[in-house]
Amino acid sequence: MIRFALFGAGRIGRMHAENLVRRTDAELAYVVDTKPEAARALAEPLGARQADAAQAMADPAVDAVLIASSTGSHADLSIAAARAGKAIFCEKPVDLTLPRVDACIRAVRKARVPMFVGFNRRFDPHFRALKERLAAGAVGKVEQVIITNRDPGLPDLRFLATSGGLFLDFTVHDFDMARWLLGEEPVEVFAWGAVLVDPRVRTEAGDIDTAMLLLRTASGRLCHIANSRRAVYGYDQRIEVLGAKGMLRAENLPPTTVERFGADATSADNPWPSFQTRYAAAYAAELSSFIKSVERGTRPEVGPEDNRQVLVLAQAALQSIRSGNPVKIKTKG
Amino acid sequence: MLELAQFGAGRIGRIHASNIAAMKGVRLRYVVDVDAGVAARLAAQHGAKVASEREVFADGAVGAVVIASSTDTHARLAIAAARAGKAIFCEKPVDLSLKRVDECLREVEKAGVPMFVGFNRRFDPSFSQLKARVAAGEIGAVEQVTISSRDPAPPPLAYVKVSGGLFRDMTIHDLDMARWLLGEEPVEVFAFGEALIDRRIAAAGDVDSAMLLLRTASDRMCHINNARRAAYGYDQRIEVFGAKGLLRAENLGASTVEHFSARGTIADRPLDFFLERYAAAYRAELAAFVAALEARQPMPVGARDGRQALVLAEAALRSMKTGKAVRIQ
Repeated sequence: MIRFALFGAGRIGRMHAENLVRRTDAELAYVVDTKPEAARALAEPLGARQADAAQAMADPAVDAVLIASSTGSHADLSIAAARAGKAIFCEKPVDLTLPRVDACIRAVRKARVPMFVGFNRRFDPHFRALKERLAAGAVGKVEQVIITNRDPGLPDLRFLATSGGLFLDFTVHDFDMARWLLGEEPVEVFAWGAVLVDPRVRTEAGDIDTAMLLLRTASGRLCHIANSRRAVYGYDQRIEVLGAKGMLRAENLPPTTVERFGADATSADNPWPSFQTRYAAAYAAELSSFIKSVERGTRPEVGPEDNRQVLVLAQAALQSIRSGNPVKIKTKG
Repeated sequence: MLELAQFGAGRIGRIHASNIAAMKGVRLRYVVDVDAGVAARLAAQHGAKVASEREVFADGAVGAVVIASSTDTHARLAIAAARAGKAIFCEKPVDLSLKRVDECLREVEKAGVPMFVGFNRRFDPSFSQLKARVAAGEIGAVEQVTISSRDPAPPPLAYVKVSGGLFRDMTIHDLDMARWLLGEEPVEVFAFGEALIDRRIAAAGDVDSAMLLLRTASDRMCHINNARRAAYGYDQRIEVFGAKGLLRAENLGASTVEHFSARGTIADRPLDFFLERYAAAYRAELAAFVAALEARQPMPVGARDGRQALVLAEAALRSMKTGKAVRIQ
């Protein structure tokens, strides 16, 4: 039985809390939030207690922390949890800056605690099946990866202004998928960004809303990422991998498989409209993976080092946009 | 009755000849080929005569020529046809060198003859419907275009060596589709090219795998991915993402039959190869050429389009070689 303290009682925090209390191998002990009343409102119906951070960290009965608070607090909480000897599940990103991510990596290594970073898409059953078949050699050696990632609609402009920008906030998921599927580290990144969805994305948030990227590995494997902050047909989440012996592809998921054959056209459901619905199974599965690794004392499937590499790629993409040319990645062990 | 002369009686020539034979209002009068036997066989099949280049250009009854001979003869034949006042249907590419294409353009424009360049994919029923629906505003302003274009297997090495390279030989079709679907001229190109499939292709100085990005002045973007080998068949797909939705055209199988088996559901692989996949497109492009001639309308795709696709291919090549994005003048 792994006892958790949850940090963050917002949208993601609530989802993790609900996944936790459904499990028989985990228990939600505390909920911590900068707004204690929000923490209490989430905790009490689930049989947990509201606490402050120091209390939760000091309780030796707490085995693990689940950090789902705002991005700016992830690194500090991770370091505090490491010092308190807790296993760490941290929402992505650990931080938007490399020095802070490195500080986390040092802290968890020193404390010898496991740290998992929530790149949830690796745990989507469909993408996972694709990756497993790739690893089993179903299409031979990987040559090209294509990742389509489009949000259903523009987020709040105030959120965008503090998000770190499209590449750090949004494309990070795709960088992680790219590394995972290419099976080799990208050594070069080229990116174009644009504001096509809403001019206020530039004027009010200083960000972009549309992008296309190319990545390349040392052996010449290629990857394309397409991003948009607005796809009117839903949350567009697709992956293709071309190999020497064929192609693997994972399409969008509709809520139902019902199709309407009308006099004018045939129509089907749109893809799931949000990340919570599309990746519901992935969020449950990533928690499962974390808990198993804590119980067995094995290395978490995805950790802060992965987050670091993704951040390096995102920063390279930003630099590519500014310079108008590809950016080489310095590999670091 | 429009009388046609056709240069080239090879693989693509045979397709055009039989499409001409099936069309009303046109007649194949002459077939010309460096191989007299091949020319004679094709001519006999369609009730045409074998002729020399000179005979074709001197015959006032010939209204138009179809140039389907080897690439290196296209520009010379197009220039001769222009000087003889014949309308021209020319297989792509007009030439592998921009200088020759420009010479050809000057002669054609000077003679005032119509010239059509065979970018057949624009006439594929699915792609042309997709384009018509983009143009009708069904998905609003175009934002992103994705073109997947992969051959089933690499061509013979001897062909690779004279092809002009992946970008001029294969990607050129995709670059034409990109211009057509973006609805604006690309102003910048970036390309990665690799030899992942066959080391001998690298030894011949070419690549067999590529990913490109194109960008227009208003920041519309396009991605093209190419491979000389897709084990599952001839992969020809297009997606256009706009402010109000996505239009997508998928691969076509030989049939729509699906087999639901104990191990999974199995459908036909995409049609192999271009002659089969684009059979309808070859018919439709010739019909569009003839219809434009008869109506005295501008050609739907002309020598300037051929030139612009080549400009983009050369920019992609320069991008790959320099490792930098290349701006288009």
